[in-house]
Amino acid sequence: MNNSLIIGQYVPGNSLVHKLDPRTKITIIFFYVITVFFANSLASYSVLVVFALACMFTSRVPLRFIMKGLTPVWFLIIFTFILHLFVTKEGTVIFDFWIFEFYSGGVIQGFAISIRFFLLILVTSLLTLTTTPIEITDAIEDMLRPLNKVRFPVHELALMMSISLRFIPTLMQETDKISRAQASRGVDFRTGPIKDRIKAVVPLLVPLFVSAFKRAEELAMAMEARGYQGGEGRTKLRELKIELRDIMVYLLFACVIALLFLTRNYS
Amino acid sequence: MKVNTLVFNGLLAALYVAVSLLIQPFGFTNVQFRISEMFNHLVVFNKKFFFGIILGVFITNLFSPLGWFDLVFGVAHSAISLSIIIMLAKYIKNKLVLLFMNALIFSFNMFIIAFELKLALGLPFLFSWLTTAAGELVVLAVGIPLIYLLNKRVHFDDVL
Repeated sequence: MNNSLIIGQYVPGNSLVHKLDPRTKITIIFFYVITVFFANSLASYSVLVVFALACMFTSRVPLRFIMKGLTPVWFLIIFTFILHLFVTKEGTVIFDFWIFEFYSGGVIQGFAISIRFFLLILVTSLLTLTTTPIEITDAIEDMLRPLNKVRFPVHELALMMSISLRFIPTLMQETDKISRAQASRGVDFRTGPIKDRIKAVVPLLVPLFVSAFKRAEELAMAMEARGYQGGEGRTKLRELKIELRDIMVYLLFACVIALLFLTRNYS
Repeated sequence: MKVNTLVFNGLLAALYVAVSLLIQPFGFTNVQFRISEMFNHLVVFNKKFFFGIILGVFITNLFSPLGWFDLVFGVAHSAISLSIIIMLAKYIKNKLVLLFMNALIFSFNMFIIAFELKLALGLPFLFSWLTTAAGELVVLAVGIPLIYLLNKRVHFDDVL
């Protein structure tokens, strides 16, 4: 229980990747995710792999945390690889088994897609491993600010997200408490037919909703009593600032993209 | 946006995340049954829960290992489906009919997720559309009586 109370995957640290402005990280990852789809040769994939591994080692996040994040997707990666092996019929036959013929094109495509997916997961999970959810919220609020012009409630959504992040651990504790309380009254969540197990969720959800909404009511009242009135003229506790290191990282990343396009089609 | 709407949606999103992390009545190794997916039905009772549900999906996916890809497509899937049901709610007043429509719309829109899988993993589009839609339909169909019962106790249309 205590372990699962720590929401997200954030691993505290003091590395360059941790210290970067969250906006820098989000922007770079955004463009990385797009450029991954442009890679089409061994050389261009290598550029991307080197960049991802470099980020990983600079972040100094212990390998086991990264591997833990990847556990649920191994199955998907292997499944995809095998699927491409069977379906793709290009290149020469390299292996023949019973009624199946495996083509070299299938192996290459299977590898390419697996590596691409692996890179996507690795780089995006580096963001959540090195950035606190609150930093991500701040960055999103800042980056979505232009949407204010079309009257999209950016500030409100960011505040909503902060409130939500604040209450996730509380509500998780509450969920745990209520499910224990109901279990002690004889509700069985773990055994029995599926229909009964689903029904058992109702006595759990009712008190959960009631207590969450009660908290919401109290919080809203407290905010109104203190005169909360939205985004206009509000100052911030944490100000985001682009530093020299952010600019350096942008430049480095621009070089990586240039290198990728140079090595495209180069086999 | 009123303070009440803002705070209630924040708490709803937190509840979405907490429930999806903790309550899994049965889970196979890879196919997981997200109870919180049923929260999608709440918008039938009160359209003001729109942002809370979307935010719940967003935060849950932010922590999911599948990463950002899921984030963009998952949020788009929810936002589009919820908007359709809010529009339909103007013309259809029967809540049970709306709940069924909701289950169907969410499942049909799984083509967005199938497209994501095609893009990221090159999985065949129709195959993933059918499998993901079937999974979604089961969860939401089970959710219909659950959320209907829940509404009788909690009265979602009254709280906001």
